[in-house]
Amino acid sequence: MICTACSCLCDDIELEDGKILNACERGYKHISEYRQNRAKNSVNGKELDLDKAIEAAAEILKSASSPVIYGMDTITVEAQKLAIKIAEKLGGYIDDNSSFCLGEFVEAILKKEVPSATLDQVRDYAYVIIYWGTNVYRSLPRHMSKYTYYPRGAKRNRGYDEDRFLVVIDIRKSEIAKLAKKNAKFIKVENDVELVESFLKAVEGKASKYDVGGVIREMKRADFNVVFGGLGLKYGLKGNYGLFFEFIRKMNEITPLYFLPSGFHSNMRGFNETLFETVGAVNKFSFSEKKSDRAFEFSELLRRNAIDAALIIGTDPVSSLPYDVSRNLMAVKKITIDPKNTLTASISEVSIRSALSGIESGGEMVRSDGVRQKLRPIEKTEYDDVYILKKILEGL
Amino acid sequence: MSFAFKLLNREKKLEDCRPLFEEKKYEVQLKKLKEILKPLEKATETGLIVDSDKCNGCGNCIVVCPVHVEKDPQGAGSGRGPTISDPIYRIENGKLVIKNMHACRRYGKSRILCVVCRENCPTDAISFLEG
Repeated sequence: MICTACSCLCDDIELEDGKILNACERGYKHISEYRQNRAKNSVNGKELDLDKAIEAAAEILKSASSPVIYGMDTITVEAQKLAIKIAEKLGGYIDDNSSFCLGEFVEAILKKEVPSATLDQVRDYAYVIIYWGTNVYRSLPRHMSKYTYYPRGAKRNRGYDEDRFLVVIDIRKSEIAKLAKKNAKFIKVENDVELVESFLKAVEGKASKYDVGGVIREMKRADFNVVFGGLGLKYGLKGNYGLFFEFIRKMNEITPLYFLPSGFHSNMRGFNETLFETVGAVNKFSFSEKKSDRAFEFSELLRRNAIDAALIIGTDPVSSLPYDVSRNLMAVKKITIDPKNTLTASISEVSIRSALSGIESGGEMVRSDGVRQKLRPIEKTEYDDVYILKKILEGL
Repeated sequence: MSFAFKLLNREKKLEDCRPLFEEKKYEVQLKKLKEILKPLEKATETGLIVDSDKCNGCGNCIVVCPVHVEKDPQGAGSGRGPTISDPIYRIENGKLVIKNMHACRRYGKSRILCVVCRENCPTDAISFLEG
């Protein structure tokens, strides 16, 4: 089966004699605990059957003057398409977690502002591998062993200590920074913008604050290098994405350097790509104003009390957003579609129990590098996100 | 020294040193030795100790293992879960499990002190008796 715990979408998970093989701890918990803490179909706290809950959800959305559809990063592409249709029909807002996660990076890749590659290409060809502001040991546990530094690849078959050069850039000595030993460099960064400027200076052969000349020299030795950017890079850049992309482009004038986002939920990239194909933006989009804007981020909408109904799918903003923001949800009519009884589901006017994508329902998801994966569920339920969203759409 | 090495290699047991148990004057030494050798109970024949609480199943150890690379180049050697029936390690239920220690380069008469798996464990979940 394919594990849907994170955006690695590991495709070599096996079930044998009651054991789950090859999945990391995060994946194991995701798969083994799927029956625990399940959501119930309810309206105003009263348990009802699915059709009644769907009816109530459609009623709330129909009577809303400013609705938002939010989440969708853990559901399939097929379900995401339906959620986008609902937002379009309502003339509402649509946003996912990527607006505060790595949406800007995915957008730059989709707009072809920076060259990108697949993880399979990284495994086969990459020499210098830079992890910038991301500790994949925690977020994507098998990233280094399955796709990047450790596996032998078609043109990198002599092992990590001879055929790879690892660079870890972080504000602290993270778990993966401890792995930067032979043929490797750990750069303890205090200011990401200054580090990008140092790289730009080093490209021109000038002296810079950070000692990065050695990394540039290593990159020049190879025909395939890659940077994985995480949330540490995103927030460290303080909005200077252009400067960072300029560094990638400048490097490509002398040696190939590809960029890939590193982190996020199982199908966040799927949502970004699906919305991008539909409206030309990756997130925070208003169908009534027909544009994407920071003001349409879910957290911004909440902060300004700009919405009166929210269809929340496969995410738990009460747990993940700051209290100052999430408390404004109390003034909003909430419909939650989730396999689990999340905090948000427990305070929602309508809660709808859905199937867990990849375990109880099939479909397609998009890996962090844009490769599409067909899920291979171990069970099959009729009442998945696609069924529920189709019914809501019909009810509008 | 020879007896000490044999102890660590499981060729001898502490009980094989009879005076240690029979003569009262060695009581303190016996107590100390039992304490020192306690980690042996947790270690495999190659001296390997896996601390499951520290392991998150990242699989670095499985992919870097030179034996896996040689025997399973398209599976473990290429980053996938092992495809051979007798891998040294496997990830089961999110944790590292030792399946076939006899295939390890540290096992047997022509053993070498390979520590590649330990060196690439980000959380020190893998250790060996020698430190």
